[in-house]
Amino acid sequence: MSAQRHELHLLTGGYAIDALTDAERAEFEKHLDQCPSCAEEVRGLRETAAKLALATAVTPPPEMRARVLAAVPRTRQLPPDSPGPLTRAGDRTGLRRRSVSRAGVTAAILALAAAVVFLLVTQLSTSSQLRQAQQSNSAIAAVLAAPDARLESAPAAPGGTVTVVVSLGQREAVVSTADLPALPGTRVYQLWVMTSSGAARSAGLLAVTHAGATTPKLADGVLPGDRLGITVEPAGGTSQPTTTPVVIVPVTA
Amino acid sequence: MEGMNTSTTSSEQPGPGRMEGGGQDPAGLLARVARGDHAAFEAVYDQLAGPVYGLVRKILRDPAQSEEVAQEVLIEVWRSASRFDPARGSVTAWVMTIAHRRAVDRVRSESAATTREQKLTPGPVTGDDVAELVETALDRQRVRRCLGSLTALQAESVKLAYYGGYTYPQVAELLGVALGTVKTRIRDGLIRLRDCMEVTW
Repeated sequence: MSAQRHELHLLTGGYAIDALTDAERAEFEKHLDQCPSCAEEVRGLRETAAKLALATAVTPPPEMRARVLAAVPRTRQLPPDSPGPLTRAGDRTGLRRRSVSRAGVTAAILALAAAVVFLLVTQLSTSSQLRQAQQSNSAIAAVLAAPDARLESAPAAPGGTVTVVVSLGQREAVVSTADLPALPGTRVYQLWVMTSSGAARSAGLLAVTHAGATTPKLADGVLPGDRLGITVEPAGGTSQPTTTPVVIVPVTA
Repeated sequence: MEGMNTSTTSSEQPGPGRMEGGGQDPAGLLARVARGDHAAFEAVYDQLAGPVYGLVRKILRDPAQSEEVAQEVLIEVWRSASRFDPARGSVTAWVMTIAHRRAVDRVRSESAATTREQKLTPGPVTGDDVAELVETALDRQRVRRCLGSLTALQAESVKLAYYGGYTYPQVAELLGVALGTVKTRIRDGLIRLRDCMEVTW
């Protein structure tokens, strides 16, 4: 491993002046996250490279200035929120909790909250349903608002994404999905909390909305080391899973 | 660099009239650009358009294409000014990193390895047909002197990668040396340049 790390460290120079191939670049950027001394070296070498650039300065065509200055008022600026020049966005898939930014969590939480409100206003007909939903929604809102709320996201095997917001402080998780394959009327998606000893406990059925998503579902009694799983079951659900989960999201400490 | 202006103590307003090159703190200017200040952007343009255009042109050679890419780079500076973080380096390095990346992306997306093949002979580092900026005479002198302090292989590797926009494997092929050699030579060369240029600031 250390030989490999040493190899990677040699790439600071090439990275600073864009000489890496795309594959090396991706690998090195992963390494940079864990190597502050590499990041510092890259920073310094970029300053050096900038001096190489200054030496090339020539007077640009005067029309260029007019064109750039004319484009500026028509160009919307990006809001602040820097992933920083050294870490680029991109290839972030699967279960990589570390790489999900707080902004990403906030965005996902807002999306979930919007889904909850959407559910409230569109799908409830009776007042008892409404009361029940309000109780469940306030529980969901409490998880989403928890200071230790954390976002996990994972792709499901047959397609689609599962997003989980976990609050270990409240021992609860909110599970939502997007783009899971549609099921025939005789089948449903069921959510399970699977303990480290292998026992599975149903957390209920996932209601599919017309938008190809499921309404956020609260799972309680969630502990570190548990796993959240979703299976396809006969309509009405079962007391124990009968099929292989389409997705498993571990709840880490 | 600052400090020549003794008069304007009354207000923080530099005003758009202060055009003299390099007279304003770049990080402060960029912070104003991030807030949508057009005059500040003009000042940044006047400081950096020359190096941006020069670098892009060094890599792409074609004047029309270079102008197009340089324009994109400068508009990108306006667009993403809020993402600049002074803790991570200077404004110049930030802008030149964007410029180099854009120029190299253009070269590589053309993927016209064949059409570039004719141009593969390493070009001269100096001697362009365009007007070099007087202000950069010192920069050029220093770079030339520091490049001269490297081994021939280090200097060639750095020049081909930075000014030529070539990848490691391409540099290795052009110089007829092993890939691993190029990796170490580029890093060693840049480190020596860094030390040399710091000393001669």
